[in-house]
Amino acid sequence: MSTTKTPQVNEVNEFLEIASDFEDPLEVIRESLSNSYDAGATEVEITIRDRPIGSEIVIEDDGDGMDYADLESFFDLGNSTKRDPSSDAIGYKGHGTKIFYKSEEVLVNTSKEGTNLRAQMEQPWEKLNNRVMPEYEVRERSVKEGNNGTHIRITGFKSGRGFSPSSLTYNKIEHYLKWKTLAGSTAHYFTDDYHEMDIYITLGDEIDDTQETLKLDNKLEFPDEQIEPGEGKFPESRMCKHYPPRELTVETDDGDTAIIEVVGMIGGKDARNELPTYGKHSAQFGIWLAKDYIKVERVNEVISHDNEFLHFFFVANCQDIELSANREKIRNKSSSIYQAIKEELSHYLSKIASDPWFKDYLNQRRKAKLSRRAESQQSSVEDREKRILDREQFTPSNDAEVVLGLERSNREGALPKIVVEDYDPSVEVNALVKQDDSLYASSIHHKLTDHFEADKPLESVDKIICWSYGDPDQLSELERHGYHGGDITFDLNTGRIEYQNGRKHNIHIVSVEQRFQ
Amino acid sequence: MGFKQKQHDNNGFEIANQAGAARTGTLQVGDTELKTPNLFPVVNFYAGGTSSSLYGGGIHRTMKEFMNGDEVINGGDYSEYFDGVMTSVASLTDYGITKERYEEYIDTPIKERDLFDFDGVLFIDSGGFKFLGDKTLDGSDFEVDVDQRTIIEIQRKLGADLVLNLDRPIEPDDDYETRIQKARMTAQNVDQFLELTDRQKQTRYLTLHGYNYSMLNTFLTEIEKVIGKNRVHREFDGVALGSLVPLKDNKGKLITAVSDCREVLDDWGFDDLPLHVLGISSSAIPLLAAVGADTFDSSSYLHAAINGKYHTSLYNTEPLDDVDFSNCDCPVCSDDKLVNWMEGDAEYQKDKLGAVSMHNLIIQKEEISRVREAISKSGTDGLIEYFEQSLSRHKSMQQHAHRVVNDSLGGYF
Ligand SMILES: [Zn+2]
Repeated sequence: MSTTKTPQVNEVNEFLEIASDFEDPLEVIRESLSNSYDAGATEVEITIRDRPIGSEIVIEDDGDGMDYADLESFFDLGNSTKRDPSSDAIGYKGHGTKIFYKSEEVLVNTSKEGTNLRAQMEQPWEKLNNRVMPEYEVRERSVKEGNNGTHIRITGFKSGRGFSPSSLTYNKIEHYLKWKTLAGSTAHYFTDDYHEMDIYITLGDEIDDTQETLKLDNKLEFPDEQIEPGEGKFPESRMCKHYPPRELTVETDDGDTAIIEVVGMIGGKDARNELPTYGKHSAQFGIWLAKDYIKVERVNEVISHDNEFLHFFFVANCQDIELSANREKIRNKSSSIYQAIKEELSHYLSKIASDPWFKDYLNQRRKAKLSRRAESQQSSVEDREKRILDREQFTPSNDAEVVLGLERSNREGALPKIVVEDYDPSVEVNALVKQDDSLYASSIHHKLTDHFEADKPLESVDKIICWSYGDPDQLSELERHGYHGGDITFDLNTGRIEYQNGRKHNIHIVSVEQRFQ
Repeated sequence: MGFKQKQHDNNGFEIANQAGAARTGTLQVGDTELKTPNLFPVVNFYAGGTSSSLYGGGIHRTMKEFMNGDEVINGGDYSEYFDGVMTSVASLTDYGITKERYEEYIDTPIKERDLFDFDGVLFIDSGGFKFLGDKTLDGSDFEVDVDQRTIIEIQRKLGADLVLNLDRPIEPDDDYETRIQKARMTAQNVDQFLELTDRQKQTRYLTLHGYNYSMLNTFLTEIEKVIGKNRVHREFDGVALGSLVPLKDNKGKLITAVSDCREVLDDWGFDDLPLHVLGISSSAIPLLAAVGADTFDSSSYLHAAINGKYHTSLYNTEPLDDVDFSNCDCPVCSDDKLVNWMEGDAEYQKDKLGAVSMHNLIIQKEEISRVREAISKSGTDGLIEYFEQSLSRHKSMQQHAHRVVNDSLGGYF
């Protein structure tokens, strides 16, 4: 004897489980915005209050409204898959609205084509937890044609720990919306007939009384471009370049194709700080994968390891990634299409990273770092100068050959007399020398070219003392390409280096070898 | 001051299209026209043996049978892949040649030999690398002292269409003084070379050595000091950049050397001259063509085969045992007999590997014609697209491809 059994689905548990994924009242707003957008709304107003009887979240839009079938989809689990999945609708997977069940009351008041429906569901969360499927009551009346729209009120939302409406601020909401919802959508870069939607948020004064209302749109925008470096100690920090929208086609070995729509920017710290921020700033830069043009997860590994992800902010949208019910994670990471998407992005980003502008930006960074370093050395040179002035006689601290050679050349009558007063090979400006009663910050090397091979700055030295010049072709390559972003000229006949990096520096070259001739 | 004033009307270089620093053109050598960029396969014309075995042993013999369209290889016509061929005087020392055989070998110009049917451009290198040390051509029972005079005589006797002076290549760690010394020695040879080849019909290339603009500029300055500004400018049909073989695995340095060389030549008013890059090939070719190299020579097709590697593209090889020959429609892989050879059904290893190396050469020649086509398209888009589809898809090559697109072709953004 045999029997056939069908596994039973416990609908209540299903609801409980899905709703439990949502913790944050902001997720209520995220889902509502998507629903309003899908209903064609051009304006959405969201009001959040924290009342003694509990919180209240009200969402009102001027979209198409709902009929009976739409209402069913709104309350049912997974029912809205009836909609055309190829449309640009965000909410079509139909899990999102179940977040509304985590409350004490859901009230929906919606008008569509002359009919108004008012649906009320009481104690949904309590009932689910008592293993009872909550029901809702619908009342119908007719209204004037054309007065479409939806009004939803969620009372007593059950937040997770630390997520209560009372902890919200305008600032937090703004950044969250721009970061995690369609308020930060990149769709407008890719479609001509982009559907714009204004979003108004009002918080009760008991939550945040710093402003009346917050108004946002549904576009992610990058900080203004600034191609050239700025002034001051961190000239690169406001540099910013936009990389225009591009469509990349991805193909897997087994013939699946997908389109990636990528747009982004590279920029310094100040430019990046103009972006919205939700959570730690540094945790946000890099390369984001997006679905429905809303960022989901980062794939910073597509930037080659020699480039810090911190300089990049790119959003790569692909409709072929699949998301978990709460939209927090990508579900199909083991698929070949996901691998192919990463591959293609990595290729695209290596082009971005090879853009001469990016190299220049990094160079500005490096230059600024070097000049900051040179500045801090200046003070250490001053300290050492002071020590020399304070002490009575010179005490040698090491016996490097060039130093000895210089001393010997003095004894043999070479002019001018150049005396090493202080020598410390472990620091960048390794010597202080005295000539005609003045002290000069100096760099002592075997060959002049060693100074440049060691990547030492020129700003902080007055003299480079060397035995010989080294490879003249190496010096003329420096003249061709510049050094630390500045122009450099060697005049070996008069023993001078002219270095122009912002300020003009003249550096005296002392060839010890020549002092013996 | 252009090449039009030169002594031979039938030598010259006509640039047809430019894409950034890359260019296509026609190189006229004697009666033969070569499309550039182009690749001269290195062929060892003397590899042991006698005239009846085409002076060939091993894989070199099979290659010459391909050049010749012999019955042995089923008689196909492979001449289009040998429109230009490079060989070196120095290769004479590879097989312990006897005095008698040496004299017989240089007695008849290669292209006039009865048993040999080759009518491409014959480019004969002086072998500077090899002769640098002992300055002798070493046979099994004789020695010939090597100087510019002997070299040019051998080049002439073998019937070279295109010749190079005897040069003194540099090494990456040579210091400035050593490089100057080598440049001066090369300059002395150049002086003699010009005198000895005056009123000869060969196309003459000047050798240059250096790894960046300053080194190349210094090298040229030394040459000019010895032979004078006028002759440096007037008497050469092209320039060959040498000493790059030790850098062959560092594509970044190769790109710098070649693009700096192009820049030096432009600054010296040599922009009309074709630039040959000595001894570098394979995956570097498209990169170096993009920064202005016009011709290349290489034996990598042959060495790959000897190492059991079958080219699936200019940048990829596959172990011979894993190859599915039906994926290639070149004349070698379309010939059942040759496929059998490559699969191991050959009496001699030379035939198995000879067929593979012919296939490898075809892959390289076809790829360079794709590079040519990409440059010929108007603007730089063709070549950028070429890199997009080829080198930039290879992790190790990507950054070099991006660099030449950024430096020479106007960049991506
Ligand atoms: Zn083939």
